[in-house]
Amino acid sequence: MSGATELVCVVDDDQSVRRGLGRLLKSAGYAAETFSSAEDYLAREIFEGPICLVLDVRMPGLKGPALQEALEKRGACEQIVFLTGHGDVPTAARAMKRGAVDFLTKPFDDEELILAVKRALERAEEQLRSRTERREARRRIEKLTPREFEVLHFVVKGLLNKQIAAEMHTAEKTIKVHRGRVMQKLGVTSVADLVRISQRAGVSPARGPA
Amino acid sequence: MKNLAAPSGLAGARSHSKTDWSRNQFFDWPLAAIALSVSLAYFLGAKIGFALTLRPHPVSVLWPPNSILLAALLLTPVRIWWVILLAALPAHLAAQLQSNVPPTMILCWFISNSCEALIGAGCVRYLIDRPVRFDRLRNVGIFCFFAAFLGPFLSSFLDAAFVVINHWGQDSYWQVWRIRFTSNVLTALTLVPFVVSWSAEGIAWLGKIRRSRFLEAGLLLLGLLSVNTIAFYKFAPPADSALLYLPLPFLIWAAVRFGSRGASAAICTVGFLAIWSAGHGYGPFSTRSAEENALSIQMFLIVMSVPLMLLAAVIEERSKGETTLREREERISLAAESADLAFWTINFERKESWMSDNGRAIFNFGPDEPLSRELFLSRVHPEDRNAVDEAIESARASSQTFEFEYRLLRPDGETRWLISRGRYGYNDRGGIRELIGVAIDVTAQVKANLQLRLQREEMAHMSRVWSMGELTASLAHELNQPLSAIASNVAAGSRFLTQGSLEAKMFEELLADVAADARRASDIIHGIHDFVRKREGTRRLVNLNEIIREVLRLLHSDLLGRATSVETQLDPSLPSVDADPVQLQQVLLNLLMNSLEAMQSTPEDKRSVVISTTCEASSTVTVSLRDYGSGLPEEDMDKVFTHFYSTKPNGMGMGLTIVRSIIEEHGGKLWAENVDGGARFSFRLPVTAKNETGEIV
Repeated sequence: MSGATELVCVVDDDQSVRRGLGRLLKSAGYAAETFSSAEDYLAREIFEGPICLVLDVRMPGLKGPALQEALEKRGACEQIVFLTGHGDVPTAARAMKRGAVDFLTKPFDDEELILAVKRALERAEEQLRSRTERREARRRIEKLTPREFEVLHFVVKGLLNKQIAAEMHTAEKTIKVHRGRVMQKLGVTSVADLVRISQRAGVSPARGPA
Repeated sequence: MKNLAAPSGLAGARSHSKTDWSRNQFFDWPLAAIALSVSLAYFLGAKIGFALTLRPHPVSVLWPPNSILLAALLLTPVRIWWVILLAALPAHLAAQLQSNVPPTMILCWFISNSCEALIGAGCVRYLIDRPVRFDRLRNVGIFCFFAAFLGPFLSSFLDAAFVVINHWGQDSYWQVWRIRFTSNVLTALTLVPFVVSWSAEGIAWLGKIRRSRFLEAGLLLLGLLSVNTIAFYKFAPPADSALLYLPLPFLIWAAVRFGSRGASAAICTVGFLAIWSAGHGYGPFSTRSAEENALSIQMFLIVMSVPLMLLAAVIEERSKGETTLREREERISLAAESADLAFWTINFERKESWMSDNGRAIFNFGPDEPLSRELFLSRVHPEDRNAVDEAIESARASSQTFEFEYRLLRPDGETRWLISRGRYGYNDRGGIRELIGVAIDVTAQVKANLQLRLQREEMAHMSRVWSMGELTASLAHELNQPLSAIASNVAAGSRFLTQGSLEAKMFEELLADVAADARRASDIIHGIHDFVRKREGTRRLVNLNEIIREVLRLLHSDLLGRATSVETQLDPSLPSVDADPVQLQQVLLNLLMNSLEAMQSTPEDKRSVVISTTCEASSTVTVSLRDYGSGLPEEDMDKVFTHFYSTKPNGMGMGLTIVRSIIEEHGGKLWAENVDGGARFSFRLPVTAKNETGEIV
């Protein structure tokens, strides 16, 4: 838990449910905001930290794939906990398929909800962290010259300096220099780290950067 | 001959005769038969006339041919009078040519005789609708004046002129006029009623007469012949002229017992015998000159026959009136019995009262118990007594007909429902003369209506339970909203308490929210309970806009689940209607569910219901629900509202039937129509709806 760096957003068209949920989340120490519709939520400025969306399945306006699409487009990092009325199994199944963290039936147990929110936030945080790492790795790889990138490509592929020199029709010594510069630019000291950062940035051993 | 005659006479005459008794009428005969019989009768009449001539007097005392002609004209349609006149001419010539009268004189006589018949028949037929009968005072009066007096009076001027011009006989103009006039008056008075009344209806009626009547007629005839023999044949001359009164009792007997037919036959008999006796030198009319004798007989017979015919007409008129009255009374009492009607009258002047037998049975009055307003009111159910008394009182004050429905509590403890109608009758001085009325026992109908109502309510109840079943998921969701809000709030509160970070203001708000949600949950349960529980219809003033909002609240979650949007176009100044709010909720719920189900295969973004209310001229309110569903099958448009009709695979087909019965019970109308891309159901309710039957229960 990192205090104000996380956010829980409750979206429910029922005012009293909204207010109750808001209070419950606050009592569990979360920063909670409430919205009466998905549109209202989308109108909010993007929050950079991990977000958990607590969403009622039955709600007028935007929902389902349309909402999912809109969320992805904004690039924020939400994880969704769905709430539903009694016995709405097909809706629950569809929601889980779309990647919901959890699916709770009203009236729900408070502990259960808080736990679900916690899980969602963790997942959001994790997602956020991996996204940051990938962005960082890419930023570094983008600094390489085309020739250095070519060398990186062969190194990740597992070729020796000599083999790389043969492939690139140049001297082994030159490869050594390139390789040293790549290590330096990417800020790694071992080949293992080099491979990891390449993977994180999505550089496949077979092809160039995606 | 027959074929030739049929189209003009027969067919024409038939169209006039509608009633059954006219089947055998004289004028229904073929034209040729009519002509032949007129001819024959005319000839025979002339022969009789010659026989009754007092020699050497030149004019017959009684000249039948003129009367035969007059009677024939009275019996036939005006259209064929020319046939009658043409048929009489050869008979006239044949009869007259046997005597030594010049042909011009014969023709002149025919002309004057025809004129007499035409004047008489024309006037009578103008004033009396066919058939001419002697059973009414008016008819007899018209006949006596126009046919028996005016016809001979006018035509005799012509006849006397012809005689003088042709130099026939030695009498002066006025002598001829006088002799012909009296002779023809007598003939018309005695013979025409006889011929007309005996031939007008054929002889079919004879078959329906009882034997005792024949016996009586025989006795009468016998008596008449005996006294006539005594009066005109045996004792004279110079017998006492008082003997002339002898036939009178028998003539009156004939008139009283046998009507115009009997009277005319009796007069004819007396006349014939009197003239025959005088002609043969017997009786009181044979003592002086032929001319004086003839005049005496004529005066005697004329004076006898006119009052007798009038008497017969009066008697027949009265007995016919009595028959009509009796028939009417029989019809009324038959109607009273078959319809459970009670007829009654109270005459205040004569202090009399009457009530039909089954009326007394309905009210449980004794057979001779005198009726009074107090007695009647004592039978009326105590709860209705004041209202009934007031209705009678206001009818008396306003002299109008009163009608009211009330219950009767009989001494045997049975309650009956009745409708009474009555009015006060007033005498010439404006005082109250009588109170007459009729009461209908409608207990059976009221009970049947009650039963029907119960059945309808039972069915409506079943339907409500069923629709609640349909809505369980929605209702659970609706109930879960406040419950989960309460649970969240309570959990939050206890957490804050544990953490010791509870602010008083926030806790206050939290508790207020919990209380509001608890109320909300209980409201929902109340709503369901009210909707589903068995109940008697209670009506009050309700606003349809409110009912629509309530139903939309109830269906809120269902609408979300079905991704259907509802647009309302409610008239803000909608007047209230007098109705059962739960039943109207049911109507709207059923119609809305119907619309939702019709839109199951409609794409989600098109699923929408538009509910609108409008008011027409402050007298009716119309509610319409328009959906974008599959619409109604055009050929089954009328069947939509009938029992167990359903286009839906899982529908019970009862919803719309119940909707219609509820709307109709409220005095409204329900209809459905297809509109562009969907269907529209509408119902209209009267703004000041006051149910007529609803007050009974």
